[in-house]
Order: sequence, then C-alpha cells, then structure tokens
Amino acid sequence: MSSAIPPVAWSACLMLAALAPVAHGATRVATPVSPPAAPADAPERDPEALAALDRMGAALRALKQFSLTSDASTEIVLEDGQKVELDGVVTYKVRAPNQLFLELRSDRQLRQLFYDGKALSLYSPRLKYYAQVDGLNSTLGELVDDAAARYGIDMPLADMFLWGTDKAPKTAIRGALHIGGGTVDGEAIEQYAFKQDGVDWQLWVSKATALPKKLVITSLDDPALPQYRAHLRWDTRSAVPATAFQFTPPADAARIKLVPVAVVVTDAGQEN
Amino acid sequence: MRIVINRFFVASSLAAGMLLVVLLAVSASASAQRSGFHGGGARASAHTSINRPVQRPQGGNVNRGANINRNIDSNRTVNRNVNRNVNVDVNYHDDHWNHWDDHPFATAAAVTAGVAVTSAVIGSIVNSVPPSCVTTVINGMAYQQCGNVWYEPRYAGTTVQYVVINPPR
Repeated sequence: MSSAIPPVAWSACLMLAALAPVAHGATRVATPVSPPAAPADAPERDPEALAALDRMGAALRALKQFSLTSDASTEIVLEDGQKVELDGVVTYKVRAPNQLFLELRSDRQLRQLFYDGKALSLYSPRLKYYAQVDGLNSTLGELVDDAAARYGIDMPLADMFLWGTDKAPKTAIRGALHIGGGTVDGEAIEQYAFKQDGVDWQLWVSKATALPKKLVITSLDDPALPQYRAHLRWDTRSAVPATAFQFTPPADAARIKLVPVAVVVTDAGQEN
Repeated sequence: MRIVINRFFVASSLAAGMLLVVLLAVSASASAQRSGFHGGGARASAHTSINRPVQRPQGGNVNRGANINRNIDSNRTVNRNVNRNVNVDVNYHDDHWNHWDDHPFATAAAVTAGVAVTSAVIGSIVNSVPPSCVTTVINGMAYQQCGNVWYEPRYAGTTVQYVVINPPR
C-alpha cells in the first residue's frame, strides 16, 4: 500500500498551499485580496497561459462537429514501480451538443462507443458483444461524467467536452506557465504547462485554430508518475454523418449487460 | 495466508488430470500476488483526462466491486474446486490494466467477487473463458456454456467479464 502515501503527502501540500495565502493576509493588514504577485511558494499562474485556455475552450465549444484522431500512449505502473507503455489510437466523431462516436483501439483491446443523444451503445468488434443503455439524456459534457460515474466508462480526452464549460473551472488550475512557441506537425503552436489536483499537464495549442495539438498528463497519485500522452489530429471540415452515432448490431453480435457501477459493488457481495 | 492454504487443499484434492492445470493457475496466482495486497499486474495507470472527477482510487475503474470483496475469498476455494476447474481461479485481481486487454498478458486474469450460498463457483468472475466454450443466446442475451458451467459475459466499464452463473433456463 505504498500508493496510499502520496495522496496524503499531496493533501498536505494542498493544505500548505491553502494556508499560505491566509498567513500572508494576516500579516499584511488591509491588503486587497487579489495578490498580484503570488507568494513565493505558490505555483505561478501566468495570465497569458490562462488566457490561452480560455481561447482553446472557446474554440472547442464553437465546434458544431468534428473528427478527432489521436495517437495515445498510456503508462501503466506495475507493482514494483516499473512502467509499461500501451499505445493506441483514440478516435472521436462528434456533433454538438449530444452525439458522439468513440473508438478505443490499442494493441490490447478494441472498443466502440456510440451515443445518439439517447442510447449509449458499447461494442467490441472482436468479441462481438454489445451493450446498450437508454435514458442518458445528456450533453456530451454531461455524458463523460455520467458514463464514468454510472457505468465506469472512462472516456479519454474527455476534456475536449469540458474545457470552455463550468466543468473545467479555471479556479482548479493552481499553476499555469507559458513555456514557449514551437511546431507540432509543422503547425505553429504555443506550449503551456499547468497544475491541477492530481495531475500536472502540458498543452500544445495551435496558434491558427486554438485547438489542442498535443497533451501530456502526468498523474500524481502514484509515485511512479505515469503519463498519458496524446497527439491530436483534428478534422473540423469534413461532415460527420448522422449514421456515425447510430449503432446497429451486426447479425453475429450478441447482447450482454453493461453493469452499472453501483450494481457492480452490490453484486460483488451477493451475486448468485 | 488463507488463500495459500486453500490452494494447497485444492492441489491435493483434485484429480490427477487437473493437477497440471491447477498448478499453472496457482503459480500464476502466486506470481500475481507476490507483492501482496494489490494482487498483481499493475497498481496504477495514467489518467487520460484532466477535469473529469476521478472516482476511482487509481487507474482502472472496472473492477472496483471485485476489490471490495477480496477478503471474502477464504470460503470459496474448497467448494469451487470440488465442482471444477481452474479458470475460475481464487485470485482476486486488481487488474488496472486488464481493461486494456481482451487477452490479459499479465496474469491468469481472474477476478472474484461474491460468495454464493449454494455453490462457491457461482458469482466468480474471470476475464476470459476457454476457447471451447459455446455462445448461447437466451432471451436475447448471450451466455457462454463451457461444459456444464455457464458464464454470463458483461461489460464492467469497457472490460468484458464473465460471471459464473446457474444455468439460465
């Protein structure tokens, strides 16, 4: 259970970070609350980096439809701390506000997720199993939360549906740095680095489109600090057909249950 | 400790034909459990998004239920192996990465959750079934029949699990 230690240490840091401004406020009587210069021990929050997030959020929310293909690598931490990287491709086809197709393809697994605004279908083309649940009348921003909370479905790069909404508040960002300019895929970008609870993350944003071109997320809740890295390719021009979001079970596919998270827990105790 | 003892019982109580397979399963379990509480394979995986609240302890979310019940295992082993086989391994498995894998490469890939009243096998969960199993559709839902053992495949998150059930008739 060595993994129990980092969260504790982390919360201790959080507490210190939270306490620091209070201490300053106490010594500086009648100082306005907004600190133009952050305390020395608090991470910097560069206004330019925060503004870049605003621009990116606005650009994402302005997209009525898009296709997003991402090379994605996920680091897995073995018991002894050794890290293994699993590579895959994440493909989204999206129509705002509430239609989505997601394919998760890796060397280990292939899954497809269809959401037509009402029913959520999960399909494994190799195993030929599908599951369907209704009654998820969600926008995509709500869907990524619902799918995770209700069905344990973790949709990678979910932030694409959260940035620019109140589900990704800037108050959650404790550190924001502008690293500098550069190129990704020959496209001019600006690189930024941010800190939030549980994750440090880096962002490469296209100067032309304000869309994210590359993302690296470092998870802080394990001492091995596993990273997720995604290299994003956007197609905001090609029309996404409505059929992309509709799942029609192939003749040789069989339906199975998608176990709600709460039931998984219950089942574990009394399934028979 | 209890688990180890039970495995001993398993090995000694099984027919010779089963022994080799059981030993394989046991050794896989043993390696999976080498580092104790967490079982085997992975202890964490990188988060794949930033702002979505993380409800899981770390990494994988799908086997939450199994984790909760890992301590219940003690009663089960004995009965199960009287009934059968091997793929239904005793090992709980906190396999954070098996949600990536339809053919788990790290372990015997068994999770267990739950204890049945009448038969210890029922309610056990595995991540794969033998290739000899036959898919049977009853009332529109798919089951896997492997000899006289029935599995109900289901998605837990994006992972397909197989739960040992009573014959669905």
